[in-house]
Amino acid sequence: MPQNDTEQIIIGCKRGDEACFARLIEIYGNRCFGYFFRLTGNKTISEDLLSELFVKLVEKISTYRGGSLDGWVFAMASNIFHDHLRFKQRQTRLLDEHSRRLKMQPMTTEGDGPGDVDKMQAALEKLDDDVRELIMMRYYSQLSFKEISQQRHEPIGTTLSKVHRGLKMLRELME
Amino acid sequence: MNDSTKENLKELLAGFMDSDAAGRAVQDIERGDRLLRDFPAPKPSQNVIAGIKLQMAAASRRQHHATVQHRIWAAVGVAAAIVLASVASLKLPEQKSAEQTAGQYAVVIPDRVWDGSDTTSDITVLSAELDSLEKEITSTSVDETGDNSNLNVGELEMELIETGGNLWKG
Repeated sequence: MPQNDTEQIIIGCKRGDEACFARLIEIYGNRCFGYFFRLTGNKTISEDLLSELFVKLVEKISTYRGGSLDGWVFAMASNIFHDHLRFKQRQTRLLDEHSRRLKMQPMTTEGDGPGDVDKMQAALEKLDDDVRELIMMRYYSQLSFKEISQQRHEPIGTTLSKVHRGLKMLRELME
Repeated sequence: MNDSTKENLKELLAGFMDSDAAGRAVQDIERGDRLLRDFPAPKPSQNVIAGIKLQMAAASRRQHHATVQHRIWAAVGVAAAIVLASVASLKLPEQKSAEQTAGQYAVVIPDRVWDGSDTTSDITVLSAELDSLEKEITSTSVDETGDNSNLNVGELEMELIETGGNLWKG
């Protein structure tokens, strides 16, 4: 996206221009939904997270101080996903506790049904959580390895190695 | 979806491995990317997108309202600070002159009266002070006459009676 376009969108969003918000959804809606979906494997949760992300974007747009808009949006998306993970972990603990008390089997909190889980999703779920997130971040955010490694505060060699290993394994799982 | 033209992968990987290994790694990454493109994730429904647009508009209005409110409160705060500063600057000279006057009187008034809050006892103390001062003045004036300095009270009385008698005789 040309830098000029980005600036215009940001200025418009800061002014509260609804057309600029709509443009932001056009640019990031599908990409961020794909990112959330590939990480959660659940359409409903992904829609909720997407909605949470865009509301947060409106609230935080005044704090955007230039730089890569892709990086800024996906850093926020990553934070929202991690918040969701923490919430899910708490919920799972509570459910485990509850089921232990009632001597029941633990309930699953995710998954809209078997039809929603495609071959790719099944393969992705076999990857390490961190590697899966990294591959999805790179694919959907379109950030460079350098930008991703900076965002994750890890050496670029580590990022490269994780992505390479992860994608190789994903291909093996899909074959 | 990934924009691989952004960076030269082979060059980047060559910094960490030999040229052949870097070439193979680039192929692995490109195949993985192709696989992700071939199995795209679903897209959000148009209803969801429409709902998000409404939520964004509402959030924007809330944000705008909060900003306006914040600015109003900031302006009120500044105005209040200015008013307080003006009042303080007007009151300060008055207070200073009052303090100075009180200070001047404080030198004359005895400490126990100055410190006390009981008005009746203050007046009693002041009266006692005045009486003692009167006595001192009287005794001093008697002493100052010189001629009478060696006379006792009886002789003084006799002299007064004699003076009184002479006055009436003319």
